Amino acid sequence: MWIGLIIFGCLILLFVIMFNSLVSRKNQVENAFASIDVYLKKRADQIPSLVNSIKGYMNHEKAMLAQITKLRKESFDSKIGSNERVDVENKITDSMNKIMLAVEAYPDLKASHNFIQLQRSLNEVEEQLAASRRAFNASVTDYNNGVESFPMNIVALMMAYKRKNMFVIPMESRGQTN
Amino acid sequence: MKTAEEFNRYYDVNLISKLRDLENERKKLLRPVIFLCLPFVGSVVIFFLNFFVLHFHHLDRAIFVGAILINGTLGAVFLPRFFKLKKTLKVKYKEEIIKEMVYFIDPSLSYNSTSFISQSDFENSKLFTKGIDRYEGDDLVVGNIGKTEVRFSELNAQYETTDKDGRSRYVSIFNGIFFIADFHKDFVGETIVLPDTAEKLFGKLGAMFQKMNISRPDLVKLENPDFEKAFVVYGTDQVETRYILTPALIQRIMDFQKKSGKIYLSFLYSKVYIAISLNKNLFEPPLFKSMLNYKLVEDYFKYLILMVNIVEDLDLNTRIWSKN
Repeated sequence: MWIGLIIFGCLILLFVIMFNSLVSRKNQVENAFASIDVYLKKRADQIPSLVNSIKGYMNHEKAMLAQITKLRKESFDSKIGSNERVDVENKITDSMNKIMLAVEAYPDLKASHNFIQLQRSLNEVEEQLAASRRAFNASVTDYNNGVESFPMNIVALMMAYKRKNMFVIPMESRGQTN
Repeated sequence: MKTAEEFNRYYDVNLISKLRDLENERKKLLRPVIFLCLPFVGSVVIFFLNFFVLHFHHLDRAIFVGAILINGTLGAVFLPRFFKLKKTLKVKYKEEIIKEMVYFIDPSLSYNSTSFISQSDFENSKLFTKGIDRYEGDDLVVGNIGKTEVRFSELNAQYETTDKDGRSRYVSIFNGIFFIADFHKDFVGETIVLPDTAEKLFGKLGAMFQKMNISRPDLVKLENPDFEKAFVVYGTDQVETRYILTPALIQRIMDFQKKSGKIYLSFLYSKVYIAISLNKNLFEPPLFKSMLNYKLVEDYFKYLILMVNIVEDLDLNTRIWSKN
């Protein structure tokens, strides 16, 4: 009788530990995702400064500048879903890369103090963004390990926790110089 | 960056004549040692003759007393002079050889043979948590390499402990070269990279202990498996730690570790602290070997180059972020 109770107590304790561990891993993933959002917003906040500092120089790329301004507005739209948001952010990354390439044709702009400062802070945000994506992926790995490994997968099934997908790190972030 | 070939030429042109002079001084210094050694060796021979062959029958104890007196007198006369000359030789060697070598490697660097990284800087690095009871060092190099401010010196930090007989002794916390440089990115938190001994020894159990280590910030698991095998990383902010330790820097740290051996790194106050553990005292003149031993000077050159090249190895001069 006592042995049965002890075993039952141990099982309950094990369940509580696994339950809490899964909850904390899930929260960690959400927290990591929120930090990506912070850096995406930080990047979006720099778009007006970027457009203002280069529009005087770039006469042939007006459409490119209008496009990135439009994308920025879309990224702030609370109605869009998470998949559309990822698409918009990817398009922003793409547009920024194109603008930076186009700047190469304007030596005066490239040498201007304001633009250099802006480029530095954009580099910084991009690296922080890459770091937050990596942190997100690390927490997703930790969460997925919990959801899929035995016996925690039984508790995960009871809690309806499913495997989460990782972020695909864009090539330009993988090839960072430092 | 100076190459081994350039150093070889520099050695032939600039150092060898100075080393010849120092070699003559070293020989002069060793002469009294011979005077000290001869009576000592004689005493030992007499003792063994007595003990094993003559069994104390034929030689008087007066011989021992005499030998001790002679040794004592010679010691009292020569030893202070020996230590004084040894110190003079050491100062000359460091001023004429090591200082010159530092200047040859990078003229913007300055060298001070008696200064060293302060205890507060060493403790601020948070690399070693053990309390320090004895702290010493020498050979401080300070300067700018490109845009990066650097300083490094030899250090020896120890703590005091007592053995089972109650005798006190000092145990090393760190012995080697300690390097501080300005990091090229701004950050506010702490990132500490230590050699991974627990996981190497105890596997998953070791990793669990690392997670529970209350003296350190949170454990950070990075995506490079080779780096994870070699190091354990702690950080106050998971994102900031990854902002500092980019995939490229992780690879650079691994390459640097292959060259330097056991290393500890921390990133605090927008600075990088690197401790390279060594089991020898560098930049000292040889006393019982020839000064003209090229290998020794070359070894010192390699260590100096290793330290100066950290800036290049970790790419600290690249300033494409907000920090200038």
